Amino acid sequence: MTYFGGLDIGSTAIKVVVIDSAGKLVGEHVTATGSLFYKNAKEAFETLLARLGLRRDEVGYLIATGYGRKLYKEADDSISEITANGIGAHEVGKAFGGVGTIINIGGQDSKAIRIDSMGGVTNFVMNDKCAAGTGRFLDVAARNLEIGLDELGDYHFRAVAGPLDINSTCTVFAESEIIGLLANGHGKGEIISGIHASIAKRTVRLAKKVGLEDRIYFDGGPALNKGLVAAIQEELGREMVVPEHPQTTTAFGAAVLARSEYLADAEDRLAGRKAEAQAKAVLAEVAANANCGTGCTAGGCATHGA
Amino acid sequence: MNGPFKPAKPILAAAAPAPASTVVAKSNEPLPFGKTKQAREAEKALNHIVDDFDDNPKAMAYFYDLFRRVYCRGESIERDGALIGTTCIQAPEELVYALGATPVRLCNGSYHYDQIGAEFMPAKSCSLVKATLGMLTSEDPVPRIGKMNLVVNPTTCDQKKKASALMQEMGHEVFDLELPNVKESEASRVYWRRSVREFAEALRKVTGKRLTRKNLKAALARTQRAEKAFRVMDGFRKASPSVFLGKDAFLVVNAYFFDDLDRWCEAVEMLNVELQQRHDTAVRAAQKKAPRIVFTGSPPIFPNLKLPLLIERAGGVVVSDETCSANRMLYDMTAVDEWLVNDMVDSLADKYLKPCTCPIFTKNDDRRRRLLELVSKFQADGVVYQAFAGCQVYEMEQRSVARTLNDAGIPMLYVETDYSPDDEGQLSTRVEAFLESIKTRKRMRQ
Repeated sequence: MTYFGGLDIGSTAIKVVVIDSAGKLVGEHVTATGSLFYKNAKEAFETLLARLGLRRDEVGYLIATGYGRKLYKEADDSISEITANGIGAHEVGKAFGGVGTIINIGGQDSKAIRIDSMGGVTNFVMNDKCAAGTGRFLDVAARNLEIGLDELGDYHFRAVAGPLDINSTCTVFAESEIIGLLANGHGKGEIISGIHASIAKRTVRLAKKVGLEDRIYFDGGPALNKGLVAAIQEELGREMVVPEHPQTTTAFGAAVLARSEYLADAEDRLAGRKAEAQAKAVLAEVAANANCGTGCTAGGCATHGA
Repeated sequence: MNGPFKPAKPILAAAAPAPASTVVAKSNEPLPFGKTKQAREAEKALNHIVDDFDDNPKAMAYFYDLFRRVYCRGESIERDGALIGTTCIQAPEELVYALGATPVRLCNGSYHYDQIGAEFMPAKSCSLVKATLGMLTSEDPVPRIGKMNLVVNPTTCDQKKKASALMQEMGHEVFDLELPNVKESEASRVYWRRSVREFAEALRKVTGKRLTRKNLKAALARTQRAEKAFRVMDGFRKASPSVFLGKDAFLVVNAYFFDDLDRWCEAVEMLNVELQQRHDTAVRAAQKKAPRIVFTGSPPIFPNLKLPLLIERAGGVVVSDETCSANRMLYDMTAVDEWLVNDMVDSLADKYLKPCTCPIFTKNDDRRRRLLELVSKFQADGVVYQAFAGCQVYEMEQRSVARTLNDAGIPMLYVETDYSPDDEGQLSTRVEAFLESIKTRKRMRQ
């Protein structure tokens, strides 16, 4: 059996997905990018293969995406994470009746993507150069509050009073603002829901730039944070489609693309073989009839006899 | 490459573009200039332009070498007569040439000078204006222009307008060439024609020469040769698959800013001969399915060819542009009705006002029409719109241009950026995603 892989080398996490020839998810793996991202990406891919009991040559086509895509030379091809995200969300979104707008928050950027009914990207916007409103922002906040990144969601819902105003959008300035709020005796829940509200505001503004379709898909690592999901939904005034594995949508998209590229290649090869066979048949026919220049066919020819 | 345009110094001997490091290593004379910040910046940009691509046209060696000499080694260009600095394409250079003087365009693309010039400008202002001021305040600017007799500053956007006084404070003699804010009205045409006459008068004071029918006609012939050479070169960019890349086209027109006029014409004519050969022998500068892009907005000026380079390194081709550092500069020709001095000056003035698609004018339907025309003529698949952060007029026109293109079904990528290299990583993702979406769109259509 032939399998296909998508490898998303992000700024914070490396995501690997393997699908089978029918396009069904077989397995996925997420690991931290760290400083040696080439080595870590290679290991992540090998780890997943080992877990699934697959050999490298059983993966027929591998597409790399994410900011480290160009440096992973073992991949068959690379594609930008925007295109891959579009394809992934389109595939996953089918189960929810199809999605048209994607909100993605990553480790160091946030994007809004608009896709057509085929999953093709029609428009997209990204945040500016800085890390405001991205996963890194949440990371810094969690560290200031001395809680785990995965606890942010719980704290969000523990807030008794309404969310506090976090006015700084700059990650560095927000850090001192958070410390100030803590010093003034505010609860962690209120601070966290305030942080979520501030990210939600920025994110929704970004999404409105590309236009909001009926169903909005939310992915990226921070989509695991239920508190943030709630804050964005509140800002949007409606629910979003949040997949079961929000971190791996883009890697999944790359794998889906790897599969269709491979199939297209196979069809080309098949067409090539067919053409070759046809050409051979034509040549054989010509060769069989070549003994006569008058256009006769072998046998029963007036000039050449039987 | 041993054509008649070989300049005094045998810089064209090396026909094949060699990496700058080799050039520096070969030479035994000390090159302290090569170690300066602006020289390293220029060298890096030039290496990308030359080395990131296979099969550069051989005739491009003239331009690669010109930039290496002027920007990386700090060589100066020899000139005739008085030197007139211009801060915009709206200054009629024909008048300068007619009076035996030489124009040099001061618009600068260096991040190094952008940082120096930042001192004079508010935080959120245009990189181009900052870099130009940064260059003008430097003791030893690049390109080495020498002492200018006059700087002509067309009153275009607010930042350039206010830069005039700053340039005067730096010790430059500045003439404000008054450009109207409205293009369509008859009053503005009359106003502009008078401004151009006043410019001729200012030039007379500097050069001591008077504009005559003969010298203006001769000057027109010289610039028309350049315009013709440009148009021929531009025509080759219609070819699909492409025979010539946008990064080289930008470099060629950027060279026009400071190169000797006649030598520039000869070099472009040589290039055109080669492009014709490439066209005839079906040499490809890019893949057949490479997305074809029209570039518009804030002008790419060497060494800041960041965005065009990102597009072409990602597999797209910039087939045409609507910018004042390239297409808008040399595309239009002067249509003279009567060959008398006054009529010629009026025709010249009209050429500078009427076809101008700069966003400084109140209304700018011409720019949108021009973009649609370029997309169709050059069979483009999409438009990339660059706005320098702080360039209000381009930022503001983005909406109407986006709407027009959207209505016509042409995808557009809007990029707000500046001269700093900080955002290259993020921009490359955006550019690639844009090109990928164009490819998907094309596949769907088939």
